Amino acid sequence: MAHIWPIGGGKGGTGKSFLTGNIGILLARQRFKTLLIDADLGAANLHTIIGLSHPDTSLSDFINKRFLTLEETVLETPVPNLFLISGARNKLDIANLAYEQKTKILRAISRLDYHYILLDLSSGTSFNTIDFFTLSDSGIFVCCPEPTSIENFYRLIRSVYIRKIQQILKAHHFRKLAEKAEARNPNTVINNPEYLLDILREIDLEKGRMIERILQAFQFKLVVNQVRKQDNQKIGMLICKIIEKHLGLKIQFIGNVGFDERVHEELCKKGPFIDKYPYSQAAMDLKALTKGMVEATHAQGEVPACIQPDINTLSG
Amino acid sequence: MKRLIEQTFYELLGIKFDASSFEINRAYKENYQLYHEDSLVSYSFFSREERKDILAKLDEAYSTLIDEKKRSRYDQSLIECGILQEEMKSQGDRKAFCLISDSKHSTNNTVLRIRDELKAMVSSNPVIQEILTHDVLSGEDLKKIRRELGVSLEIITEMTKVRIFFLRAIEEDEYDKAPSRMFLKSYVKAYAQSIGLDADFVAGRYLKRIND
Repeated sequence: MAHIWPIGGGKGGTGKSFLTGNIGILLARQRFKTLLIDADLGAANLHTIIGLSHPDTSLSDFINKRFLTLEETVLETPVPNLFLISGARNKLDIANLAYEQKTKILRAISRLDYHYILLDLSSGTSFNTIDFFTLSDSGIFVCCPEPTSIENFYRLIRSVYIRKIQQILKAHHFRKLAEKAEARNPNTVINNPEYLLDILREIDLEKGRMIERILQAFQFKLVVNQVRKQDNQKIGMLICKIIEKHLGLKIQFIGNVGFDERVHEELCKKGPFIDKYPYSQAAMDLKALTKGMVEATHAQGEVPACIQPDINTLSG
Repeated sequence: MKRLIEQTFYELLGIKFDASSFEINRAYKENYQLYHEDSLVSYSFFSREERKDILAKLDEAYSTLIDEKKRSRYDQSLIECGILQEEMKSQGDRKAFCLISDSKHSTNNTVLRIRDELKAMVSSNPVIQEILTHDVLSGEDLKKIRRELGVSLEIITEMTKVRIFFLRAIEEDEYDKAPSRMFLKSYVKAYAQSIGLDADFVAGRYLKRIND
């Protein structure tokens, strides 16, 4: 079964597509069959990052039933082992998907035969982004060490949190409980989802604990991108601490990626950064990050042992 | 997950019941870094009132635990609530205030625990790692490392039993203040080891300057 990593962050411009594209290339180079899916439905541009300028098919062909299977929308890329489902030719109204459509897409994705599937999600806290996070429990968040980015990231993770609670309540027909909780604290629920859990626990300890357990199954990861020398290098770790302490969610800081002027330059040339500057700090950071993530999935036994690509070459 | 209001001062600071004043100090500093008004880490996470409450509780926790008498009273109240057990307390408040007490069995544990934590800090701190790549190490370098770790000379004195006069001389590169080169070497080694550095490695690079 493929390992699915949704990649999102609250704010635009944090480098989600950049990270998705370059991590994808690194994985493919290690002979992992890797699929990138541009799920930034309203503003897709992942194809540009990996150097593919005019994709013929896109995710919307599957959503609109032009193709019956998701496989048919998969494109080859200039990089061996790397495949793409583009979002480039999506219709303009596609940015708002119904929940059922999203589960249909995710079900189809989970049936695809790849080692790794990376989902590039849109910024903001639209239900599109949130639901892809709640549907898979191994999401990767990207943020920059800037107040604007951190603010949006906190907003996003809280939205994911509250959406998940609401889904659990709905799935288990805890409507009475939900209504009681709503009545007790109508305003704080929206801004502080952590109080919602408190209230739920107060009303019904057992169900509250059950919801808490489900929330703890999330294994989120955080990458801090565009880190400059003068920035606090520990900020990612500290952010995870705040989230674990106050939301009770498990989130693991997996690394910084250094800021590099040349990323902009390479984007303008529409080529993959990792190929042009393989020994820059940012590229080294990306390699370390990818290596860590692959090792973690190996340790969990989620990648079949028979593949065994040489992960050690990732560090070089 | 426990609500902030329900947490004991120890839980709030993330320390053990028998934490030393060094650990309390550091835990407070770390937490303050997370919650103060201009902290980028928790930017927008809390409302102004929430932040004020958290900071007030942190201050209360710190000022209570750092004061031997207040801490003892607080521990007593925890015992009465059944949160803390008597034997934990008696072990705890013996070394509540001074870093290293005279009681033999707990002393070593505290020193070792602090050293382990410092070791982890050393290996994860890029500034320190950069300094350690130097061919030779000066007193100024050691001082920088110590400051990065947030350790005072007083604490090193307590841990190493080396007089603060000599520790300061090491940092000022005043080699002749030590009775002999042999002593200097052992002082530098003790200094390095106490803050989680490789003693032989540091002493070698420090003495290299004098020998050259």
